[in-house]
Amino acid sequence: MNKDMKILVVDDFSTMRRIIKNLLRDLGMTNVLEADDGQTALPILKQGGIDFLVTDWNMPGMTGIDLLKEVRSDPNLAAMPVLMVTAEAKKEQIIAAAQAGVNGYVVKPFTAAVLKAKIDKIFERLS
Amino acid sequence: MISETGNGLSHFEMELQLKAQELVSVLNEGKLPDAMEIIRELHEFRHQTFFSEVGHLTRGLHEAIKSFSSELGRSLNIDGTPQAETDAAERLNYVIEVTEKNAHETMDRVDKALVLVDKLDKQSERFKDLLLLVGQLEKEHDSLKGVYDRTCAVKEESEQTISTLREELTDIVVSQSYQDITGQLIRRVINLVTNVEDHLVALMGMAAQVERISGVDMSIESDDKQTNNKNPIQAEGPQIRKEHADVVSDQDEVDDLLSSLGF
Repeated sequence: MNKDMKILVVDDFSTMRRIIKNLLRDLGMTNVLEADDGQTALPILKQGGIDFLVTDWNMPGMTGIDLLKEVRSDPNLAAMPVLMVTAEAKKEQIIAAAQAGVNGYVVKPFTAAVLKAKIDKIFERLS
Repeated sequence: MISETGNGLSHFEMELQLKAQELVSVLNEGKLPDAMEIIRELHEFRHQTFFSEVGHLTRGLHEAIKSFSSELGRSLNIDGTPQAETDAAERLNYVIEVTEKNAHETMDRVDKALVLVDKLDKQSERFKDLLLLVGQLEKEHDSLKGVYDRTCAVKEESEQTISTLREELTDIVVSQSYQDITGQLIRRVINLVTNVEDHLVALMGMAAQVERISGVDMSIESDDKQTNNKNPIQAEGPQIRKEHADVVSDQDEVDDLLSSLGF
């Protein structure tokens, strides 16, 4: 896993963005950008340079699932690894996210160990 | 003649039976115009009863909405003009704000603590150099025998403690996610309250129309009673509008107020 990779964390709650940022820092990844919903995240992604997307689902403006679909439908972004970190816990939702092409799905509230394990797994599979 | 609009359907039924008997008797006597008059009266009576019942239903609805909106913390506006959110929604938003602020303050402190933990880690590195020195001295001086091993054990123990401390601090950060979880649930309740309120406003509008048509008088007496009865010292929980003139904003204001009362 490349520690210098650029990560975009998307969540409408600043508390959660900070928690995820802290955990990424523990993993040695400090190159982190933030956005508070899909609408603000998408232009940042389209600008290029982001290597990994961590997104919430339930957000005003554009939801995480719609953001994921946008990413997968954009040829420049389609291959980007996406981890969903969300309180949405219905099986149907998890299946929908998987079908939309999510690389990992973490249900809130989570532990540091779980988040780290999911991130490791995503990059293990990709390499 | 048929009496004035009755109170309830039982009265309607009673009148109907009386009129039916009357109708049969006038028909038996062959008084057809009288019979037609009775039928006309019955018609009118049915309408009156219907309007009266609707009127009472509407009044009940009106009262229920009034008391609900009073629970929400302010009166609903019937004319449908857009206005700020209810006190209830405002209070809930305040909960989100307070928990967010506190979660960040907690994380600020954890960040400071983590800086101290890093410092301990660096000290541990410097300790390593000292240990090497102790190791060399031990070989030269018999009296220092065993000091190196004992010091190594302390260093390892201390490193283990630092690592556990780091994990604990990380868990404190992660546990702040309660703010996100509760915040999302509260937002849903805010939406619910706002929706219910919108529907009630629409119902109030409809009720006002029915009141006009049915002629049931909605005296404002009950409204006055409600506002007058509100106990000014009723417990309200934390105040969210601290800039309000009738609310103190800090302990100094409390002390000032009390001292002005001679305390």
